[in-house]
Amino acid sequence: MKTVTKGSHNTDNPPKKRRWRVSRRGFLIGLGITGVGAAVGLRFGVPEARLRVARVLDDSGPPGTIDAAPSVWFDITPENQVTLHLPKVEMGQGIHTSLAQIAAEELGCDWEQLQVVQTGTASGPEDGMGTSASNSVASLFTPLREAAASMRVMLSGAAASLLGVSTSSLVVEDGVIKGAEGEDIRLTFGEVVAQTDPDSWEAPSDPPSLKPISDFKLVGQSKPRVDLQAKLMGSAEYGYDKRLAGMLYGAVARPETLEGSLVSAGPGEAPNEPGVVSVIARNDFVGVAAESRAQAQAALDKLELRWEPGKLWEQDEIEALTTAQDGAGVVIQREGNAARELGRGSGLEAEYRTPMAMHAHLEPQAALVDVKPDKVRAWVSTQAAMTVRRDIARALGRDEDDVEVTPSYLGGGFGRKLDVEAAVEAARLSQAAGRPVHVGWTREEDFKHGYLRPPTHHRLRARLEGERITALEHQQASGDVAFISLPDIAATILGADFGAWRGATFHYDGVPHRRASAQRVKLPVRTGWWRGLGLMANTFAVESFIDELAHQVNQDPLKFRLAHLGSDERGHRFGNVLRAAAERAGWGASLPDGHALGIACCTDVKTVVAQVAEVSLEGGEIRVHNVTCAVDPGLVINPDGAKAQSEGAIIMGLSSTLLESVRIQEGKIDAANLNQYPLLGMRQSPNIDITLLESGADPYGMGEPPIGPIAAAVANAVFSLTGERLRHLPLSPNKEG
Amino acid sequence: MQLTVNGERHTVSDEPQERALLWVLRDELGLIGTKYGCGIGICGSCTVHIDGEAARACITPLSSLEERQIRTIEGLAEQRENGELALHPVQQTFLDEQVPQCSWCMSGQMMHAAAFLESTPDPSEDDIIEAMQNNYCRCGCYLRIKRAVAKAAQLRRAGEDSD
Repeated sequence: MKTVTKGSHNTDNPPKKRRWRVSRRGFLIGLGITGVGAAVGLRFGVPEARLRVARVLDDSGPPGTIDAAPSVWFDITPENQVTLHLPKVEMGQGIHTSLAQIAAEELGCDWEQLQVVQTGTASGPEDGMGTSASNSVASLFTPLREAAASMRVMLSGAAASLLGVSTSSLVVEDGVIKGAEGEDIRLTFGEVVAQTDPDSWEAPSDPPSLKPISDFKLVGQSKPRVDLQAKLMGSAEYGYDKRLAGMLYGAVARPETLEGSLVSAGPGEAPNEPGVVSVIARNDFVGVAAESRAQAQAALDKLELRWEPGKLWEQDEIEALTTAQDGAGVVIQREGNAARELGRGSGLEAEYRTPMAMHAHLEPQAALVDVKPDKVRAWVSTQAAMTVRRDIARALGRDEDDVEVTPSYLGGGFGRKLDVEAAVEAARLSQAAGRPVHVGWTREEDFKHGYLRPPTHHRLRARLEGERITALEHQQASGDVAFISLPDIAATILGADFGAWRGATFHYDGVPHRRASAQRVKLPVRTGWWRGLGLMANTFAVESFIDELAHQVNQDPLKFRLAHLGSDERGHRFGNVLRAAAERAGWGASLPDGHALGIACCTDVKTVVAQVAEVSLEGGEIRVHNVTCAVDPGLVINPDGAKAQSEGAIIMGLSSTLLESVRIQEGKIDAANLNQYPLLGMRQSPNIDITLLESGADPYGMGEPPIGPIAAAVANAVFSLTGERLRHLPLSPNKEG
Repeated sequence: MQLTVNGERHTVSDEPQERALLWVLRDELGLIGTKYGCGIGICGSCTVHIDGEAARACITPLSSLEERQIRTIEGLAEQRENGELALHPVQQTFLDEQVPQCSWCMSGQMMHAAAFLESTPDPSEDDIIEAMQNNYCRCGCYLRIKRAVAKAAQLRRAGEDSD
């Protein structure tokens, strides 16, 4: 275990040695002195969260917290400043605020006393999972509370020793240690740190008992975001903004076609171009480092490069590959015997298709890397700092311990910044140039050379008996999602990509026979992580099909759904969100002429969501007027933050529903920039009404689940309005053949 | 040549004259608050004011800027004589409404809104939508942006009344 202290040490005053203790639960606690002089602090560690690659059903929630590594969560200074070190990156989801609320609640500190610091690979808690999968709050809720509660107990114990009273006679409230019976005692955290030797503090051997939810004062409040002030002043630093003295700018040569590769590479005249400092021209990597971005880009044209374009793929070939073969694939849900039941006839069948899509995060990927003989330092717009560290170390042939990666604020992530090629490119160029190099991709590079949301195809079948569904089958085919980040062997063992089939199983537990299967499609175009992974595509297919079944038997789509839910807790939660969304939307009440409603629901990372869309047609185009959404994410940490995530997911999902599609033409991605790939704007944005329904004592995921139902809700509303069933995204009335 | 940004004069190289204001601001002057999103004037993340008018810095050549007043997000708040920094009404309401998510587009959104309110101090909802339609927000904050711009208009008018 490596322990690293933030900031530099005065060599005359080496930091005191840490002590580590291991409790019965393998709960690790580290105590030590940080910094120099008055900057005495106290540091403390808990288990980290890591991705457990497991074949989990998509309703089993986020991967658990596993493994233990001592690491730093808190600093408390004699000046009474509490710093919370967070490994999760802030990309707009408000995670720094939510986690700060959880920590402050259990520590008992004052909200104003707390500041949040983004950690990297060299300091703070290790985070092998990265910031993804709507997992940050769910995975850290308990570990962070245990860390904070332990810190509170230790502060209180140290205060008790200082005062010569028993710990039980003290309480911690709003950052002050007070007498439990109103005695005249008042010590701040800073005073305890200043007046005691943290090395003498007693760490609890077990995690202390946690506050009951009924006592929460900060959790459950809409605290304002901790990162907004800097962002609104224009001073917040993102990966594209990072600067160092003497830095250069990098540009990288890339193939024009999907399968393009270099036959030969030579520097040509590039080294003699203005501003050029370093040129790398190898068959596996060609790049230039120069004094300005424009000079680096311009020098690329002076290289001597011979490309082999490879096969020139066309869109129809991609779609032919992306086709679910009857009976193929890995079974991901099996209840009863759907095949036998479907064989009895009286069925309905339908096929659905969704296209590839861009992430279109508005900050293209970017990194600044400084390669030095002893250390490689990188500042990266990344969701996964540890992955970047590994990739840079591999590319440079360095030890991972030599590489320090610090994530910046992210200008959008949406899954695209789990892999940051720009960091490796900047590292290669910095190594060659001997100076720090910033690589910021252009929008064109981000569109043409990233990875996309995979295309999908869905075959659905059902059997009806009277007004009830007796069997459901979903055969789904998708390009890779999680498999792009896993070694081939893992993909072979797993068979089906757990990212691709998120949302593909049927949650209607009242249907006795259910089967779902997932087929991996290997495509010549890179596909991967995208907000919600397969959730939106699969929910579009499944929830549109359920709507088809309801109409087939002349049932109200809301009642039909409710009638097929299970009677367990999940069925109950689904019923609640469906009824709440429908009620708020005026389901069954009269609507303006030419308007209609559609409903859909989904579950993801244990959160359940229902949405109702109100649409009309204007000049043949779908106009979405209102979206009413009810979400049950378990326990809500920050209601306004949860609403903001829901609003954002709905808008992003609606952009996919109405507008977005990437096509392949002559071996290339057809869109080079936003003029060829319009996003939803303010004019097409509906009013959005969010209802939060809490259940239970644990928070689930919030960043992705609300992107699930929107496409189906809109398509179902269009059917209700026009009688036309739209089975392809983006939805295009009167144009599907 | 001389470039005036947020009231300060900066000397920058004349050549090449066609280089975009965006990169001069960011890479040469270190004013990182103005963001790059598309480079072709579509997304609006790079919006600044040139002589009070909203302009896309990514397609504004340096050669057009001699003797012009440039304002960026860093100069949107007002530095009062007593040293206090007073947020622009747009910044204040974007904060009050908790508008931004990732916030990469927000400098551009606020600069565009601030210029718009100068020319349209009492906008209707349709006016706001019309004005803000070409500033993309991938996080999907449009409803909050619309609300915050409307409130900024009120706040701005209230401020003028009290002056």
